[in-house]
Amino acid sequence: MSWHEYLVLWCAVFGTWALLGYGLSLAGVTRAQRAVRVMGRIERVREPRHGSSQQDGIPVVVSFQDPSTGQELTVTNDTDHGDRINAAWTGREIGIRYRRGRPHAYRFTTDLSANRHGRAWPDFAVFLLYVGLVVLAAIDWGWPWALLGFGVPWTASVALYLPQSARTASRRIDALAARPPVQGRVVAVLTDTSTDNEGITSTGHTPVITFTTHEGTAVTAYCPDGLPDPTNSYGRDVTVHYTPEDPALFTLDLASEHRSRTSDIVFSALALAIGATTVAVGAVAVAL
Amino acid sequence: MPMRCRIRAGIDTLHTYWRSPGPGTIARVTITKGAPPPTRNTPVALARGVLTGGVIGASLAAFVGCVIESVPLCVTGVGLPAVYGLLFFLAGVPRRAREAAVPPRTALARIESLEAVGGEATSDVAVRFDVTVAQDDDIPAYRVRFTQHINLADLPDYRPGGVVVVQYPPDRLWRVRIVKRPTPEWEERAAGARLDPAPGPVVVSEPSAGCAVGLVTLLALLLAAAAVILVFRADLFDKDNSVQPPSSARPSVSSTSSTSSTTVVSSASGTVALGPGQSFLDKGELRRAVDSLTRGKGKDTGRALTVVVQERLLSVVFAPTGSQAPDFDPGSVPYERFPALVEEARSSLGIRSPKTWQITTDRLTGSLTIRVGVTGSDGTASLEADGKGEVVRRTPAR
Repeated sequence: MSWHEYLVLWCAVFGTWALLGYGLSLAGVTRAQRAVRVMGRIERVREPRHGSSQQDGIPVVVSFQDPSTGQELTVTNDTDHGDRINAAWTGREIGIRYRRGRPHAYRFTTDLSANRHGRAWPDFAVFLLYVGLVVLAAIDWGWPWALLGFGVPWTASVALYLPQSARTASRRIDALAARPPVQGRVVAVLTDTSTDNEGITSTGHTPVITFTTHEGTAVTAYCPDGLPDPTNSYGRDVTVHYTPEDPALFTLDLASEHRSRTSDIVFSALALAIGATTVAVGAVAVAL
Repeated sequence: MPMRCRIRAGIDTLHTYWRSPGPGTIARVTITKGAPPPTRNTPVALARGVLTGGVIGASLAAFVGCVIESVPLCVTGVGLPAVYGLLFFLAGVPRRAREAAVPPRTALARIESLEAVGGEATSDVAVRFDVTVAQDDDIPAYRVRFTQHINLADLPDYRPGGVVVVQYPPDRLWRVRIVKRPTPEWEERAAGARLDPAPGPVVVSEPSAGCAVGLVTLLALLLAAAAVILVFRADLFDKDNSVQPPSSARPSVSSTSSTSSTTVVSSASGTVALGPGQSFLDKGELRRAVDSLTRGKGKDTGRALTVVVQERLLSVVFAPTGSQAPDFDPGSVPYERFPALVEEARSSLGIRSPKTWQITTDRLTGSLTIRVGVTGSDGTASLEADGKGEVVRRTPAR
């Protein structure tokens, strides 16, 4: 089979998969649509032990109610229960999802409405189908179509993303600077050692800080970046800027937030320029 | 039966029945004291063993396809285990779904002993626990061994005699797992509990597959591999025969039973390369090689511009038809004189340790000229001979 036939087969396979997936999603029978999604409430937070691993997240006790049976369940975040909980305080709401009838197989999630319609896999299939079609067009009609095929979506998505992300970054920085900062402390430094294939050991350190908001909420959170010399930061005092609506969004260094917003805008503009150039070159080459 | 025998029979094997939290199913598990756990030799396990062994053997042997350069066989060798693995996985989906639907049971357990086993240089240590799992109901406590990774910082929490919270699926009692972060209710119960160790060495472990299954798998593997090789033995062994054996020591009288020379002929040139141990100074070798190059060429196309001879390499450049360059008939060269000429060049031209020689024959000067060059550590020397093979000029080494 030549390349052409393989590509046609590729497009057919993923096109069928996408159609099937969207059909199932419309019918409402995908697993994601039938999953139970509830909000759980953190009842108790414990500080991680200094020197332990950061894999399992902050030790919390969460309670939620199974909507079908009305049963109240109390669970903890032991190993392998979905997203890692990086910031916790008593009363925080955290999303929990599980298959209907299996509350013991619960998984924590930070974004409860993710994949609410079960379209994640069909969307991915459409993406692969599109890649196949672009390659097919490039082989049949010439390379400028590859430039157009990849350049147009790239430029469109950057053009949509750029103003949105700039707005979000500004809002976050305003929120961080809205209230005066509070004092916090590093209560533990979590260590993880791993060896790769060549026997080289690498150690990662994750400091854990606690701070109390102006409203009196005691927050315990992982602080993977923003602390200079994290390895020896145990017991250090830190200044924390947090957003009043969600203390899980915080920073130790307001200036770096400004810097990262600027570099974000610069990189987006660069990506936009590259995309526009690609589209222009492709269009000109096609026209000629 | 006397009372004593009945009690002994009762102690030797405990059969327990209880209801699992599923929809009214009753699970029966045998907890045997001392005796090895029951083996599984069911027909399904045997059939699976045969299939697995057959697939592994056939795919290993199919790599023979890469030797005989048969692409479909090579691809089968890679594709067959992949497809089988996929089918195996899909066949296990209902069973796994069933197992996942059952919520695990939580219980308290007393650590009898723990020891670190193996492990890499990470912060997690693999620890083998020996615990006694206690139950709430009238199910007897049982002992079980399992291995779990524990972080170094948490290791002091686990001591022999300590009580921990464990979880296990109700239908597989041996799959016990320590719960590192129990709920507050279970934490309190673990803190206040005093557990007795289980009576005697009652150990629950996974029922192991029987000997028969392993034997059958091995047999199927060997048979499948043999079958594949048998089917393709013709291609395999023919290919071996086509590889020619190298010639042995250099014969003084050239025996022509098997030669390992390589001949390349085109319309413009011809080359003959001899195998190791042969030489163009051997009697008749040169004549034969030139004949093989000119065979099939007519009077016009078989005329040569140059003939170059080395120890094991002969190359002839043929004259293109209609060329004006002076050419000659390669068969008219006195090849029988070449060994003598080379010997004379080696000995009488002042080269102390001659290493290589080369004879170039051409007609550029108008008449056939044979130039013999010898190279040694001292330098090069040459002599010229005419069309009859008689020396006309010598150029000794400087």
